[in-house]
Amino acid sequence: MEMQYQRDSWSTPCYFASASAGGGSGVIMVTKTTAVRDPVERIERLAAESAVVIFSLSTCCMCHAVKRLFCSMGVNPTVHELDEDPIGKDMEMALSRLLGRGSPSSVPVVFIGGKLVGAMDRVMASHINGSLVPLLKAAGALWL
Amino acid sequence: MENHRVGLSEAGPSSHHITYGTSSVPPPIPNSNFIHQDGSAFDFGELEQAIVLQGVHIDDDHHVNKSSSSLFSTRPATTLKMFPSWPIGFQQNTPIGGISSKSGEDQEDSTDSGSAVNAFSSHLQQPESPISCSSDHNNSNNHHLLQLTQNQQQYHQMASPRTGLSPPVNDQVPLSKPNHEKKKGPRSSSETLQDAKTLRRLAQNREAAKKSRLRKKAYVHQLETSRIKLAQLEQDLHRARSQGLFLGGGVAACGNISSGAAMFDMEYSRWLDDDHRHMAQLRAGIQAQFSDEDLRLIVDGYIAHYDEIFHLREVAAKTDVFHLITGMWTTPAERCFLWMGGFRPSELIKMLMAQLDPLTENQVIGIYSLQHSSQQAEEALSQGLEQLQQSLVNTISGGGSLSDHGMHHMTIGGPLGEDGMHPMAVALDKLSNLEGFVRQADNFRQQIIHQLHRILTVRQAARCFLAIGEYYVRLRALSSLWSSRPRESLIVDDGSCQTASDVGVGRSSQNNFSNF
Repeated sequence: MEMQYQRDSWSTPCYFASASAGGGSGVIMVTKTTAVRDPVERIERLAAESAVVIFSLSTCCMCHAVKRLFCSMGVNPTVHELDEDPIGKDMEMALSRLLGRGSPSSVPVVFIGGKLVGAMDRVMASHINGSLVPLLKAAGALWL
Repeated sequence: MENHRVGLSEAGPSSHHITYGTSSVPPPIPNSNFIHQDGSAFDFGELEQAIVLQGVHIDDDHHVNKSSSSLFSTRPATTLKMFPSWPIGFQQNTPIGGISSKSGEDQEDSTDSGSAVNAFSSHLQQPESPISCSSDHNNSNNHHLLQLTQNQQQYHQMASPRTGLSPPVNDQVPLSKPNHEKKKGPRSSSETLQDAKTLRRLAQNREAAKKSRLRKKAYVHQLETSRIKLAQLEQDLHRARSQGLFLGGGVAACGNISSGAAMFDMEYSRWLDDDHRHMAQLRAGIQAQFSDEDLRLIVDGYIAHYDEIFHLREVAAKTDVFHLITGMWTTPAERCFLWMGGFRPSELIKMLMAQLDPLTENQVIGIYSLQHSSQQAEEALSQGLEQLQQSLVNTISGGGSLSDHGMHHMTIGGPLGEDGMHPMAVALDKLSNLEGFVRQADNFRQQIIHQLHRILTVRQAARCFLAIGEYYVRLRALSSLWSSRPRESLIVDDGSCQTASDVGVGRSSQNNFSNF
C-alpha cells in the first residue's frame, strides 16, 4: 500500500499509512492510529485528531460536495478516504450504524471537534440554521 | 348496503317490497331469506316498541310508509312468535360482539327466536354476513335483545333509515302467546312503574333511532359525493397522464409516463389548489389585520403545506428521479430556471429581501447570512452533481472504447472496467446517486423555509410566504401566456394585450411583486 499524502487542495496534510497485513511494499509513515484494528476505535481516534474530520469515499460525489462546502467556508477539513484504508469496509459499516437506519449511505460523515455532526443533510441543516459556524469556531477550525 | 334492505326501505325500488307487504298471514318466512335481506334494516328501538307495547298505538310522527305498514303488521306477530319469553330488567352486559361473532357459522334455525335476534344483531353489525346463530345463544337471546336495546350506540351505527316499520300495531297484533310480562291489561302498581320506565326507555330509543337514521343519511350522502369525486379524480389522472405525454416534448417513442410521475403530477396539482386556498387565507389575514395568534395559525398551516410537498417530492424522487429533476412536473417557464428539480433558494431570498421591508437590524443580518450560506450550499451541491456527471461520462465512454465496441459489446460478458465491474452496472450505480442529490436539495430548501419562519415575525412571515406563492403564480401565468402568444409578433404594451398588462409583462420586474 502506498503512503497517502494530502489528497487535494481542501485538506491539510493528512498522513495515514496503511499497515498492510500481508506485507506491502514499504510502510513509510506510521501514525499511532495505524495499529488500531477495531473500526469504531479507529474512527474515534481519527475524529479526535483534527478539528474537522470527514470520512469519505474517493468515488462518492456527495463526499465531494461536502468537501467543497467546507472549503468554500474557509475550513480545511481532514479527509479519510475509506476505500484506501485496510479496514475501510469495517469502518463504513460502523459509520452506517452510527448514523442510524435513516441514512441511505455510510459516507460522507462529518466530525467537528471530535463530535459527530452527521451526514450531508445534518451538515446542511446546521449550516442553514446558523449553528455550523459557531461549532467550527469553537473547534478552532474557523477564525473570524 | 341499500340493496339488502329492499323489503323495508322506503328508498328501495324493489319488488320485494310489495311481496312481503301483501301477505296478510305471517308467512313462514325462512328466516334466512327474510333476514338476510332485511336484517340490517332493523331498528331495534322500533322492534322493541312493537313487541313490548302490543296493542298500544304509538303515534309515531315519523314518516310512515303506508304500503309497508301492512308489512309491519305481519312482522310483530312473527316476532312475537319468535320470542317465547321476555325477561325484564336485564342488566347483563353481554357484548354485542358476542352475538355477532358467530357470523362464520351457518346454522339456520328457522323457527328459533334466537336466530332472528342473532341475525338481526349480527346484521346490524355486519350487514353482509350470513345468518349467524348458535344453539348456545338461543336461550340467552332474549337477554341479548334487551341488552341490545341498552347498548344502542353500538348497533345503531348500522341502523337503517326510516323504514316505516313503525307501528300502528294495535289490533293487528294478535297476542297469541302472551308470555310477555309487559303486556297491557290489569296490572299492579309495580307494573305501572315498569311501564313508565319502559315508556321512557322507548322514547330514548326513538331518539337514538332518529339520530342514527340521520347519521346514516349523512353517511350515504358522503358515499355518493365520494363516488363522484372518485370519478373526477380518475378523469384528472387521465388528463394528467395525457398532459405528461404532451409535455414530454412530443417524443414519438414516449410511451406512458411512469406511474410514479403521473401520481406526483396529480398530487402536485392538488397541492397547487391547496396553495391557492392558503394564499387566499394569508391575504385575508394580512389585509383584515388578523391578530397575531390567528395569523400564526395560518402561517403554521402554510409551513405544513410546504412540508407536505417536500414529502411528496421525496417519494417521487424514489420512484422517478428524472421526472423531478428535469422538471417535467412544472410549467416551461419554471422549468427554465430550475435548479436540482426545484427552486434555487438564494434567488428566492434575494427576491424576498425587497418584499420584506421593514426588517430589524438583526433580521437583516439573519437574512443576509441565510443567503450567504444558501449560496455556499448550492455551490457545493452543484459541484457534487458536476462530479457525478463527469464520473458518469467516464464510465459510459468506457476508457476509449467508444469507437471500438458497439453497445452489444457492453453486454454482460463484455469488457470489464478496471475495477472489475461491468461498466453499465457501474454507471447504473452512479446514476442512483441522483436521488441523493435531489433529496439533499429538497432538504436544503425545506430548511430555508423553516429558517425564514424563525427569523421573521408572524406578520412578516405571512407576507413572505404570500410573496413566494404570488411569485410562482405569476411565473406560471407567464408560462401559459408564452405558450398562447400570437406567433406573428408579440406587441407588449398596455393597449394590445390585456392579460399581459394584468401581470405586467413588459414592465420592469421590480414593480411587480410589491402589491401587498
